[in-house]
Amino acid sequence: MSTATATPRTVPHTTRPQSSVSRWANHNRKWVLAAPAMIFTAAMILFPLGWTLYLSLTNAKGSVRAEKEFIGFDNYASVFADTARFWPAVGRTLFFTGGTLVAQLVLGMVIALLLRKNFRGQGFVRIAVLMPLVATPVAVGMMWRLIFEPNIGIVNYLLVRMGIPAQPWLAGENTALPTTMIIDIWQWTPMVALILLAGLTSIPEEMDEAASIDGASAWQRFWHVTLPILWPSVVVATLLRGIDALKTFDILYATKGRGGGSFNEVETLNVYAYGLSFDYNNYGIASAVLILFFGLILLALFLLVRGNKVK
Amino acid sequence: MRTSPGYRIFRIVAIAVLIVVMLMPIFWMVLSSLKNNVQIFDVANAFNFDPSLENYRNVLARSDYVDYIWNSFFVAFMSTAISLVIGVPAAYSMSRFVMRRSALVVLMARIIPGVSLLVPWYYIFSNLRLVGGYSVLILSHMFVALPLIVYIMMGFFDGLPIDLEEAAQVDGLTPIGAFLKVTLPLSVPGLATAAILSFIFSWNNFMFALVLSDAGTKTLPVAIFDFIGYASIDWGGLMAASTVVTLPIMLIALFAQRYVVSGLTAGAVKG
Amino acid sequence: MKHPKGAAIALALTTSLFLAACGGDEGEGDSSGSDTIRVTLANHVWTDTIKEAIPQFEEETGLTVEITQLGEDQLSDQYNVKLNAGSEDLDVMMYRPLQEGKLFATNGWMADLTERVESNADWDWSDFQEGPKSATTHEDTVVGVPIITEREVLYYRKDLLEKSGYDAPPQTLDELKEMALKIKQDNPGTAGFVARTARTAAVTQFSSYLFSYGGDFEVDGQAAVGSDEAIAAYDMYSSLIREAGPENVSTDMGWPDSMAIFQQGQAAFLTEADSLYRNATDPEKSKVAENVGFAPFPEGPAGRRSYNIPSWALGINEGSQNKDNAWKFIEWATSQEQALALQQAGNPSARNSVWENAESTKNDPADLVEASKGSAENGVGHDRPLVTRVAEAREIVGQPIVDGITGKDVAESAQTAQEAFQQFLDSE
Repeated sequence: MSTATATPRTVPHTTRPQSSVSRWANHNRKWVLAAPAMIFTAAMILFPLGWTLYLSLTNAKGSVRAEKEFIGFDNYASVFADTARFWPAVGRTLFFTGGTLVAQLVLGMVIALLLRKNFRGQGFVRIAVLMPLVATPVAVGMMWRLIFEPNIGIVNYLLVRMGIPAQPWLAGENTALPTTMIIDIWQWTPMVALILLAGLTSIPEEMDEAASIDGASAWQRFWHVTLPILWPSVVVATLLRGIDALKTFDILYATKGRGGGSFNEVETLNVYAYGLSFDYNNYGIASAVLILFFGLILLALFLLVRGNKVK
Repeated sequence: MRTSPGYRIFRIVAIAVLIVVMLMPIFWMVLSSLKNNVQIFDVANAFNFDPSLENYRNVLARSDYVDYIWNSFFVAFMSTAISLVIGVPAAYSMSRFVMRRSALVVLMARIIPGVSLLVPWYYIFSNLRLVGGYSVLILSHMFVALPLIVYIMMGFFDGLPIDLEEAAQVDGLTPIGAFLKVTLPLSVPGLATAAILSFIFSWNNFMFALVLSDAGTKTLPVAIFDFIGYASIDWGGLMAASTVVTLPIMLIALFAQRYVVSGLTAGAVKG
Repeated sequence: MKHPKGAAIALALTTSLFLAACGGDEGEGDSSGSDTIRVTLANHVWTDTIKEAIPQFEEETGLTVEITQLGEDQLSDQYNVKLNAGSEDLDVMMYRPLQEGKLFATNGWMADLTERVESNADWDWSDFQEGPKSATTHEDTVVGVPIITEREVLYYRKDLLEKSGYDAPPQTLDELKEMALKIKQDNPGTAGFVARTARTAAVTQFSSYLFSYGGDFEVDGQAAVGSDEAIAAYDMYSSLIREAGPENVSTDMGWPDSMAIFQQGQAAFLTEADSLYRNATDPEKSKVAENVGFAPFPEGPAGRRSYNIPSWALGINEGSQNKDNAWKFIEWATSQEQALALQQAGNPSARNSVWENAESTKNDPADLVEASKGSAENGVGHDRPLVTRVAEAREIVGQPIVDGITGKDVAESAQTAQEAFQQFLDSE
């Protein structure tokens, strides 16, 4: 410990002379400390959000600097009436998010329970579990593209060797979305598992043992003892993963490119909005979709937090 | 607690399967990066080939990859450092004064769809003459790093007893002084966690770098797309490039495992 | 962490210094007439070739060339964001005249090059082919200089044709289909035919089928993809793939994917742009290099009507403060000398003098040269709808292709596309 920090302790109960700036800063420290981060975030969000809102009410097309007219809520009306692209994209977004979330929670729980007790080599296993999680998503997308390649991919090769017909995977109209979900599940289940594992280690084992002595089956113990205590961790995992799953972009872009394939088969709201902006240069509609998308995320968040409070 | 032998065997098998599923794809990527394109197409002889570092040589020679590695590193480092400087005090204040609503403002950055920010940001930054350098990338990556840091550090400060700070204030330190001289030194594990996590997320970021970087500042995830060109799809090069991007992060995860895990699971225990 | 406060201050200081330093870098490029030319190029053989020659240009002129190289989609995204924001930090842009050209020019993002192209008689604008030139001219204003031209040709496997008893490539599309089906039958596991299948990617290669059946995407501003000719063309293209194509065919294949199948020896015919031929004849990329033959695009009911288009061009950003130097770069990169060297490296030029020079094609297979010439005769100057928002249009007119490949009713799908395309044209 240096003398600089030690000095005040040797002279207790005396307040060192303070400059007025310091006094003011300390008095208002709540905001002084929080302000830079809040101002930065607000500055980075407010203008884009306001601008997007504004554009969503105009017929901006081609270039955002081109002349545009104020057209009220027409964009929203046409988006809502768009059963070809918008609603399917909403459906895919929800399907993707719901599907991956459920799979990740179930698998993550299984993995967490498997790894719960100490065992030899657990350090290695934890590292193995960590790897998908930290790998760069774009690189992960490329990697799986090769693995799922219908003609040269290892997956189809193995399937055929086992006598199962080859699948189109990412290339198929109906299989592409589930395949991207598999990739997402591969990459993010470890995160759920680690969160749940952290929650599990905070549960004293005696509780489990006591229940076990009472004659409860493993399933009953899990359902009545472990899960209720673990519930906060489940909620956190759901929140964190849910938001990110709704906004998934990197993997979809890396595997299917823009527009999400020939039948828009993996076109989620995020991909659709990106395409509307950068492919179609249809900024008015794109902005309306983005605002609705943002609203959907907020709604999902609200429902999750609310549902949890009720419980 | 005793477990049945049946369960024990099941557990060992399950863990083995888990390891294979988690690591096989990555192994496959690295394996493919050591092959030329003809070998990659020859799946039947996947393990029977002469490994070559040719792809890596191409990657490093062909497209200024060393510069891209530096760009990725510099942007991730700077965005992490600045986010720590502004994010940690904010997290402290938000934790101590229970400013949940203010915290939501910062966390909003995690929720908003990035697509809606790209064009407006570019517009502002180019009017501020910030485009074309690192600053615009660093600012955009801070947008990713900051909420992460605030979130992790709030959790950390929540768990740190307030008594020590109060004692230090009784000893004559100002509240901010107590934060800097007492709380921060105690927070090194939390800081390490937050810093490593934010570094990883910045390194991996694709969408912002895709549109906001250019020749001099291109980061690795964007550079991967050099290998899907109009003139050829170079699987070997693509896999080598993907390996180069992912490797540093995996090494960090390997050596700082504890911090990465505690960062990813932050908030899980208290809920 | 002995002096946390000091450490924090030091960190903050270094940080701001760094930021200031990076800020400083940017200033240089913005001053007008800077010595640094910022050139954005697509991943392409052309780019690889020109990059090798750039040091020579830098030496001759004392200028510095700073290259950003991107895949075509990423390139397009970057242009969109940057040009939308009125960016100054793009000077020379490699762009696709038929894809982005009209949008960029309509938005006023492309600098007027009319005077520049006409001022240098040695460089000789009149040497460029008319078709490509018209594609880089917007409302009588020259906005780009074409660098690469393309035609659709038929790639085929000499050995497989011989095995099935054919001694010449097909002359007509009907013959093509017949031969492809027979070869597929004779060689289990090998496809008779392959081509692009992705909705937007396939449109350009489909266009030659459409033209050869006497159709077009639009006629005088009216959508024409529902016409009988168009339906027949859609049917031919998609049934070739559905019936004679690979098993489990995906509807995601751009040219790299369909080319890969051909390279692997898994298909007998491929209709593709001639500019990509090296992928088929380079033994390092292709297993079938020595057995590849080339023929002109087969004839349809309306004769042989391949596209003949400039796929890429160089233009200057209207917002650039460095237009004079940017032009110097373009002038150099498109000079007779460079065009010849580039064509020898496999980039079909837009200059007549290069094509007339026997040196330019001496490295190319003789049948390819003939095939390109055959496809160029009677060629059509576009391979996709000529509209502002091309990407959206391609999705609409490409839908019947993928619907056909997956076995849906082509006529019905073409009718739907017709309505959607008409609506799109009305909103242009």
